[in-house]
Amino acid sequence: MPVSAIVMLIFGCVVLYGGLIFCLRRAIKSSRRSERR
Amino acid sequence: MEERERWGSRAGFVMASIGAAIGLGNVWRFPYICYANGGGAFLIPYFVALLTAGIPLMILEFALGRKTQTGAPSAFFQVTKGSEWIGWLSLFAVMLIFLYYPTIMAWSVNYAVYSATLKWGADTQHFFHNQFLQLSGGPEILGGIRWPVLAGLAVVWIAIYLCLFKGVKAVGKVVMWTVTIPWVILIIMVVRGLTLPGALDGLKFYLTPDFSVLLKPNVWLAAYGQVFFTLSLAMGTLIVYSSYLPKKSDISNNAYITSLANCGTSFFAGFAVFSTLGYLAQSMGVGVPEVTQSGFGLAFVTYPMVIQLLPFWAPFFGVLFFIMLLTLGIDSAFSQVEPFVAGFIDKWYFSKKWVLPSVCTFGFLVGVLFTTRGGFYWLDIVDYFTCTFGLCLVGFLECVTIGYIYKARKIREYVNEVSEFRIGKWWDVMIMIVTPAILGISFVWELVKLIQHGYGGYPRWISFIGVGIIALIIVLSFVLMKIKGKEE
Repeated sequence: MPVSAIVMLIFGCVVLYGGLIFCLRRAIKSSRRSERR
Repeated sequence: MEERERWGSRAGFVMASIGAAIGLGNVWRFPYICYANGGGAFLIPYFVALLTAGIPLMILEFALGRKTQTGAPSAFFQVTKGSEWIGWLSLFAVMLIFLYYPTIMAWSVNYAVYSATLKWGADTQHFFHNQFLQLSGGPEILGGIRWPVLAGLAVVWIAIYLCLFKGVKAVGKVVMWTVTIPWVILIIMVVRGLTLPGALDGLKFYLTPDFSVLLKPNVWLAAYGQVFFTLSLAMGTLIVYSSYLPKKSDISNNAYITSLANCGTSFFAGFAVFSTLGYLAQSMGVGVPEVTQSGFGLAFVTYPMVIQLLPFWAPFFGVLFFIMLLTLGIDSAFSQVEPFVAGFIDKWYFSKKWVLPSVCTFGFLVGVLFTTRGGFYWLDIVDYFTCTFGLCLVGFLECVTIGYIYKARKIREYVNEVSEFRIGKWWDVMIMIVTPAILGISFVWELVKLIQHGYGGYPRWISFIGVGIIALIIVLSFVLMKIKGKEE
């Protein structure tokens, strides 16, 4: 597979799955914080 | 009036919103659009569209539902009395969709059964058009009902009713399965696809970027169109789902999670689709572009062909594929029915016990049209006019009403009071300028194309009927607005 295709694959994964994991972590942290309160 | 229902948990709400957004289009539309619009380079306009139109509009709909605690018509009524019709218009647009969408699922029910014996044989195109649908000569010839499709339609409508009749708490539990199962099956399909010979050739076509397309306006319009339709925006679904949220619930982060999960599914589905297309092309000794299709052609012609050629466990993968389509479709289908039902309950306080079965029966009875031998054409026509003109118009009106009449700033301040992520003034710009401008351009672009060439090679009178349907739902929206509700 060409390098440019691999670069776009990594770009897509970082934006979509990286972004999703970041947002999910934030949501979990916030729900834990409100549970503690 | 019955007390408003509530989600059992935040996860239930997020999963339901993801389930509403993820549908058949994620599997059969996105991979093809990506391939046809510059491969990997398409990801750039796609992400731009997601950030500038998809997520802002989703935040708007979540905020509107959460703030007003009602379905779309009453939510717009609370924004400004005269805009209630926009809420009704979104519900009529979604009604048109839930009239034909279950028919596609009915095909999947039949194909899941056929998969056990690979009934379609070697010529899958002939089987789908001539044996299964038994297509008539055109939309003007209905040609009688196809009973297997009608039976499938009854199964689908019963399933929709069962998912909804116990209320949103039960929906929250159902979606835990209907969102997870397709993902598990997708993972199996991707692993299977990648282990087939020729898979990398397929992926090369899917991902290799052609950056020259970034200068073409139609590629950007395709990206905005894809983002807009894939997120279930302008259908009233997200407004009614967020209206079941308890008071102190997050808005912006829920919108980010829903959008990214939906688009992540589309991207992942591309690996399942293009790896198997690579295998199909190699088996047939042709190039990947020659076997690449989207929509019904991909699901009911190309994929069965791939399944037929699999070296082992072909029926198993066939059943798995169509179960995936069914589970992908069912949560989108009931998310289309729910806002329509809620619209009547919120305005006239009707009992859900009566409204839900009435809407399901109505949906089934009108859906019979699409189970006829000419139904395939009508499905295609209603889909085109509803998505291209109906939803586009609703999205445009939503942005203008909230952005200029209610003021985007007020919604932004409200979102920032309750959310985990603050949104800046950029959001006002997106809602007031970027999104309505793109939707407006897209609407005019498609209208000009329709006037010049008609649609899909159908006779001219079809265009008049399509435009007539959109005009009719606008009139009906005004009529319902004028009928007084219980609280007025």
